Amino acid sequence: MRRLLGWLIIALLGGGVFWLLTLPRGLAPADLAALPAGDAARGEAVFWIGGCASCHAAAKAKGEERLKLGGGQVLKTDFGDFVVPNISNDPADGIGAWTTADLANAMLRGVSPDGRHYYPAFPYASYIRMQPADVADLRAFLATLPAVAGRAPDHDLRFPFGFRRGLGLWKLAFLSDAPAVDLGEQGPAVSRGQYLVEGPGHCGECHTPRNFGGALDTSLWLAGAPAAEGEGRIPNITGGAGGIGDWSAADIVYFFETGFLPDFDSVGGSMVAVQENLAMIAGEDRQAIAAYLKAVPPHDTPRP
Amino acid sequence: MRGLAILLGGLTLTTAAFAADDPIAVRQALMDNNGAAAALAGAVMKDELAYSPVIGKAVIEALSATAHAYGSFFPEGSNDPARTHASPKIWEDPAAFQAALDKYSADAAAARQASGKDGPADKAAFAAAVQPVLGNCKSCHEDFRLQD
Ligand code: HEC
Ligand code: HEC
Ligand code: HEC
Repeated sequence: MRRLLGWLIIALLGGGVFWLLTLPRGLAPADLAALPAGDAARGEAVFWIGGCASCHAAAKAKGEERLKLGGGQVLKTDFGDFVVPNISNDPADGIGAWTTADLANAMLRGVSPDGRHYYPAFPYASYIRMQPADVADLRAFLATLPAVAGRAPDHDLRFPFGFRRGLGLWKLAFLSDAPAVDLGEQGPAVSRGQYLVEGPGHCGECHTPRNFGGALDTSLWLAGAPAAEGEGRIPNITGGAGGIGDWSAADIVYFFETGFLPDFDSVGGSMVAVQENLAMIAGEDRQAIAAYLKAVPPHDTPRP
Repeated sequence: MRGLAILLGGLTLTTAAFAADDPIAVRQALMDNNGAAAALAGAVMKDELAYSPVIGKAVIEALSATAHAYGSFFPEGSNDPARTHASPKIWEDPAAFQAALDKYSADAAAARQASGKDGPADKAAFAAAVQPVLGNCKSCHEDFRLQD
């Protein structure tokens, strides 16, 4: 960490070095060339676990409305207000004209088609762990969704966060496709669950506390965190004190299917949209996520 | 069996609270009763409890009774934030709250219809009848109940 900080400082001092270090880099040409042709039916499952609708559709959208990805929701954070863009199939206002490579660069590297960095409010710091083939399938599915006209307004960010180039340093320090936790070999269900939770499902983005730099603190993976937006805390979903150690795997799966907690209250807040997405994925995938949550290292809920 | 005990506990609580003439206590007891009914449904769905039509019938009747009664316990002024999680929207936009109650009642009536005299015959029929009713819990809470 020291070394990295040193790097950051040197970078800040030397303008030329800064320029080089912060240069937005997409995937290597060989990786782009290796992207397979996507399959829309498989891509639908990726769409639901990826939770794209939770941010890119209208707030609290239900049913078919979740497929209209016109953007416009505002995410209020410490850095300012992010306005979620239109990623519908509209060729001018949305991403209708994007190639699979464009989407892969955006989701797996946080780089736009015109070579700018995206803000990690778009959870590519998790999506970076996704299989390129899943992104190709997702591209094919997104192409089947309705076009929505209209562009969302610009973000309203505090100084200096409006300066995208600086994100290059953030990425250098924090962006990594390494697994969040090392679970060893625990069988196919746990590995599948690990992929779904740490990659497309981006569960850690809400359930894990952040370090000084705004990156997820993997030493407290899924231990619960203050809500990024508004008040309140996001619960601990490990087996530690304050977590869900007393939920059975069946309780977890039933929660994903229906939104009912084991005490038969119903889910609320920002988890509602997530749960409604999880209700759309394959039953085995819900079981895999439950198996993974049972296998992650238990942490007690950190004191706020 | 645990679920059945909770359900019966819930029903008793409801009756006791009615006597107290306290709308907040009554509506919370009605909701606890809903929670107990949903618990019983969940125990069947998770295969923790073997299904029998009697259970299906009890769940659906309990949910339906609450649907009929619930809207009557929100008089003006019963919004003391120290005691209730009911959202101020209930009084600000009564038409929207009524629409949520109506949908809940309609779904409960349809489930009663499907359940017939003896209750849904098997687990699949029970799930098909009860799930639309249970969908109301989350959607009404999202709009009309405050988070902690
Ligand atoms: C937590 C909210 C959130 C989720 C979930 C989310 N996004 Fe986004 N997305 C954003 C934000 C905010 C931006 C804007 C980033 C920026 O301007 O740097 C964005 C930007 C994008 C862009 C770039 C659009 C453009 O015009 O340049 C694409 C493409 C995109 N998201 C696709 C997706 C896909 C596909 C998913 C699901 C797998 C997804 N997003 C899930 C918040 C989200
Ligand atoms: C947008 C933020 C967000 C994301 C992303 C998110 N969650 Fe949650 N989660 C929450 C909130 C908020 C709650 C508390 C809900 C409530 O109050 O009813 C919650 C609750 C839960 C609970 C119940 C815990 C309890 O003690 O009540 C589980 C289990 C859970 N989430 C699992 C997941 C999984 C698995 C994922 C990824 C697929 C995920 N969450 C992604 C915000 C999020
Ligand atoms: C038409 C709206 C509506 C529907 C439908 C609804 N609820 Fe509620 N529920 C509420 C409101 C409002 C409160 C908060 C009441 C209060 O605190 O005064 C609440 C509170 C609760 C509580 C907490 C009670 C307490 O003791 O404080 C539980 C448990 C509950 N609901 C379960 C359910 C279940 C299970 C269902 C579905 C079968 C359901 N609810 C359907 C509106 C609804």
